[in-house]
Amino acid sequence: MAVTDELTALAAETLQRIDAAQSTAALDEVRVAVVGKQGSLTGYLRNMGSVPKEERAAVGKAVNQAREQVEAALEARKAALKASELDAAIEGAAVDITLPGRGQQMGTRHLINAMIDEVSELFLGLGYSVAEGTEVETDYYNFTALNAPADHPSRSMQDTFYVRDMSGDVAEVQGESDVLLRTQTSGVQVHVMEDQELPIYIIAPGKVYRRDVADPSHLPQFHQVEGLVVDRGITFGDLKGTLELVCKQIFGPDRKTRFRAHYFPFTEPSAEVDVSCGICHGEGCRMCKGTGWLELLGCGMVDSNVLKMSGIDPEEYSGFAFGMGLERMACLKYNVPDLRMLLEGDMRFLRQF
Amino acid sequence: MKVSLKWLNEYTEVPADLKAFCDRLDLTGTGVEGVETLGATFEHVVTAQVVAKEPHPDSDHMWVCQVDVGKWNIGENGECEPLQIVCGAQNFNAGDHIVTALVGAELPGDIRIKKSKLRGVVSHGMNCSERELGLGGDNEGIMILPEDAPVGMAFAEYAQLTDRVLDLEITPNRPDCLSMVGMAREVGAMYQQAFTDPLAEAAAKLPSVTAEDAAPVTDTVSIAVEDPERCARYTARVIENVKVGPSPDWLAERVTAAGSRPINNVVDVTNYILFLYGQPLHAFDHDALASEDGTVSIIVRPAHEGEKLTTLDGEERSLIPDMTVIATPERSVALAGVMGGLETEVTDATKTVLLETATFSRAHTSRTSRNLGLISESSLRYERGVDDVPIDEISQAAAALLAEVSGGSVRPGMVEVYDHRTTPVALTFRIPRFNEFVGADIPRDFIVDILVRLGCEVSDGADGDTLSVVAPTFRPDLEREVDLYEEVLRLWGMDRIPSTLPAGRERIGVRSHEELTRAKLNHTLRASGLNETMTYSFAAPDDIVRLRMDPESLGMAVELLNPMNADQSIMRQSIIPGLLKSVAYNQSHGVKNVQLYEMGTVFSTSEGRKNPKERTKVAGVLAGAMGDAAWNASPVRFDFFDGKGVLESIARELALPKVRFRVLEAADAPHLQPGRAAEMLSGGTVIGWVGELHPLAVDAFEATAPVVAFELDLNALDKATQPARPYVDVPVFPSVDVDQAFVVDEEVTHEKLCQVMSSAGGKLLEDVRLFDVYRNDERVGAHKKSMAYALTYRAPDRTLTSEEVEKAHERLVKKVCGATGASVRE
Repeated sequence: MAVTDELTALAAETLQRIDAAQSTAALDEVRVAVVGKQGSLTGYLRNMGSVPKEERAAVGKAVNQAREQVEAALEARKAALKASELDAAIEGAAVDITLPGRGQQMGTRHLINAMIDEVSELFLGLGYSVAEGTEVETDYYNFTALNAPADHPSRSMQDTFYVRDMSGDVAEVQGESDVLLRTQTSGVQVHVMEDQELPIYIIAPGKVYRRDVADPSHLPQFHQVEGLVVDRGITFGDLKGTLELVCKQIFGPDRKTRFRAHYFPFTEPSAEVDVSCGICHGEGCRMCKGTGWLELLGCGMVDSNVLKMSGIDPEEYSGFAFGMGLERMACLKYNVPDLRMLLEGDMRFLRQF
Repeated sequence: MKVSLKWLNEYTEVPADLKAFCDRLDLTGTGVEGVETLGATFEHVVTAQVVAKEPHPDSDHMWVCQVDVGKWNIGENGECEPLQIVCGAQNFNAGDHIVTALVGAELPGDIRIKKSKLRGVVSHGMNCSERELGLGGDNEGIMILPEDAPVGMAFAEYAQLTDRVLDLEITPNRPDCLSMVGMAREVGAMYQQAFTDPLAEAAAKLPSVTAEDAAPVTDTVSIAVEDPERCARYTARVIENVKVGPSPDWLAERVTAAGSRPINNVVDVTNYILFLYGQPLHAFDHDALASEDGTVSIIVRPAHEGEKLTTLDGEERSLIPDMTVIATPERSVALAGVMGGLETEVTDATKTVLLETATFSRAHTSRTSRNLGLISESSLRYERGVDDVPIDEISQAAAALLAEVSGGSVRPGMVEVYDHRTTPVALTFRIPRFNEFVGADIPRDFIVDILVRLGCEVSDGADGDTLSVVAPTFRPDLEREVDLYEEVLRLWGMDRIPSTLPAGRERIGVRSHEELTRAKLNHTLRASGLNETMTYSFAAPDDIVRLRMDPESLGMAVELLNPMNADQSIMRQSIIPGLLKSVAYNQSHGVKNVQLYEMGTVFSTSEGRKNPKERTKVAGVLAGAMGDAAWNASPVRFDFFDGKGVLESIARELALPKVRFRVLEAADAPHLQPGRAAEMLSGGTVIGWVGELHPLAVDAFEATAPVVAFELDLNALDKATQPARPYVDVPVFPSVDVDQAFVVDEEVTHEKLCQVMSSAGGKLLEDVRLFDVYRNDERVGAHKKSMAYALTYRAPDRTLTSEEVEKAHERLVKKVCGATGASVRE
């Protein structure tokens, strides 16, 4: 048989074997056997020297032809096998995607601080900054500078924790002291007015203390966010608009607010703000004790005595202040049944928020 | 303050709609805390109307009526339906308004109304006569109401037999509202309606009960006030020949409605006047005060230190000079403004009453009340301010009433010391400024009307835009122009003010450096799987000792003078005890995996300090593991390194420079388990500590060990934190990685090995990572460990040749072995 015929037969046989290869490994065996270094087709090329001169051109052409044929077929078969092997691998790798994922536990924010964050963000957006104060205050900053001088009856509105005064000063009333746990964040107002340039737009979140026995609706320590604005031309309407906006942001646009006249020594006029009950929507229910309203915060125009004591001219500047109880707000928003849960550190409670 | 609406109605009209009235009170500043019903209630007795009247088929004198009772009888279709009632009365016609007792009603004489049949005809109630209702009258026929009487109203309400008593929250600035007259004036202003002050008329009755021929009081009674600052006005009248006994019904009813218990006619009159005008009175037994010659010398003076006085409630009180007493030359007889003395109280045997009408200092009354823990209706009013101006007239009214109800007579005249009369405050009300201040346009007429109704004298000011206002002396809270603004605003209605926002100016809200640090810290702790909590700022005095911390190291504890209980009597010096209590709480409730942190204040003080030191700490506790075993996760129990890992994350996130951990010896941190305790430093600054709490400390808080904990100082973190780490070029040339294990003695620390490697490796050593620690007595040797490191060599400016790396690595190994006694593990 002529060499060219041999080549044709080899090519044909090889194409058959390629077709028959069922895996890339089997295919590779074929490749090595035919076009590998020691392959049968490669052997013809290597032996070209022994081919008679006159036949060389024809044989060379035939070898190359066969080689091209084989290589093209190898390539095509390899692609096909690879694709089916990938399909098979993918199919075998399918998982039950309803199995739980591999996550890392993220910690949670305490409900009250989450409320502080929410309120703070809101006021930052309105151009306010955040101020802070100490939790132990002197009588001056907690009461006197807030227009509640010694023996003022408004002081009995809050039951105060007194701290032993180590300076040696003695209070006029037995069991009282010049040093106390702040009963309100309002003292921060005074510090800010003393220390900061006008105009003032601040909020001051913080912990406050009153002598209440811990029960589902009272805690001896709780949190307030104080707000203070002092600027030219601030009106009662500005106070109203600001707090209405805040209530709607926090409780939802369908909740109404109402302003009730009230009394605080450090604001004049003063008001308490109620938000419409989210359970009965104003009809009256147990949650709101039949009134349709839930008490939310106290506020008012900064009393001119307070401004004067901080060296601000009440004829030139006016301002408003407010103080909201965060535990109360959190309870109204999340219906927490017992405030004491906020201080227990029960993981099953904390991880709900 | 309890306000009887029946009583109030005598001075101003009480609105018919109770709910709307309560809302209006709430909105204008008088909080309604409760509503109580007093008097006959006549349940199920209603006003009605006869719609049809037919003769009874089997009786010649009875009628079968269809009676409209409004909402009290609802038919199947949901509409009001008339009731069939058989009635024997003859005095009515169809269309008449009557009173009907429905089934279930109980009438005087124990009559219960039931559904019944009268000669075969069903009757669902009874049309009532006045006698059947216990209202007297004859029994000729049923009660016929006027044509305009409503149908279906509760009869007690219609006939105003019931009294409603509102429990009102009177704010401390409104002493005037602690009286019926004050509340009536307030309601008059609330509704811009008439209000009648009964005082002048009541005072005018005095002459009719005065014994003109008796000796004037001034002949036998004298008053001396030692310190006029404590008592601006003191008056006394004497009522003779009183017969002490029960009060007449009307008086007892008033006093009861006001929340007091009727005692006797004399005491009840003093209480009545107190509730009516807000002026506390005190009735002394005159003869108990008098000296042997029958004269009375009253001295108002500071109490002596330690002076004893038994007050009306039977308590013996020990007094101090800050308290004021009413005294005779011999002894004190009453605690001024707070409570009378037992010895001189009015008893059944009292014949002559000395009536004190006075005003005492607000501050002294408040302090006395607080010092003795004694609050009375008097002290409540005196500490808020009692008007001295109308005392004379009130004393007249009181004496007249006292004489009237006790059958006595008043001796002519009044003894008085009146040191300083309160001058009314004159103010200017600038109408445009007011409207600018509230942001509204409230008309002048309204402003004037409200101020006048509240008792101010108002006249036109210097120009058309201002008013001259004189505030009444019974309103000590109206001192400044802005106080008048509040009055007008609250009665105009805050809800009517348009809502606006402060005008936009150049301002932006910014977070401070410390807030940003806190925010990063919070994020890092939560990303580390810790849950934020809050615990009490209060602590038990032995918390620190139980935790085995050294109390000396924490300064002096801040002590509360009036703690809620012994376990909360100081302010905390560390957050850890609170967190440890929460760990115990969780463990005892079946929650084994606990990861908590808290950021909060700790307190300490020292001799001579007024304000204590406050520091913000961030503390955490870890017990159990990060989660329960799952199909693809097997969490490892927390140990020291979980706590340290959290701190390392914090160090990274806050870009703390030169962070290192130092061994804490048992002596320095007795609350931590020795060998598992470290101090965190950034440069030379101590940031805090981390470790496993000592098993005995954990045990003392009834928690189960191991508990990993840390406590860091926020201020130190805030100072150490860097705004951003400096940029370092991202490597462009390849690195060469070499793994190298050293066998060292147990004492050789990772830190030591790193130090040596880092100094020996020079610039080419980019990174050292410990990937294995292996101990095996046979293979590694006893008391030894194998530390396997992955070392990364790289040059920033070229590809390293293998010769360079080999040379550097050889040097490194040699130095490590030389410096630490390590041997190389192949």
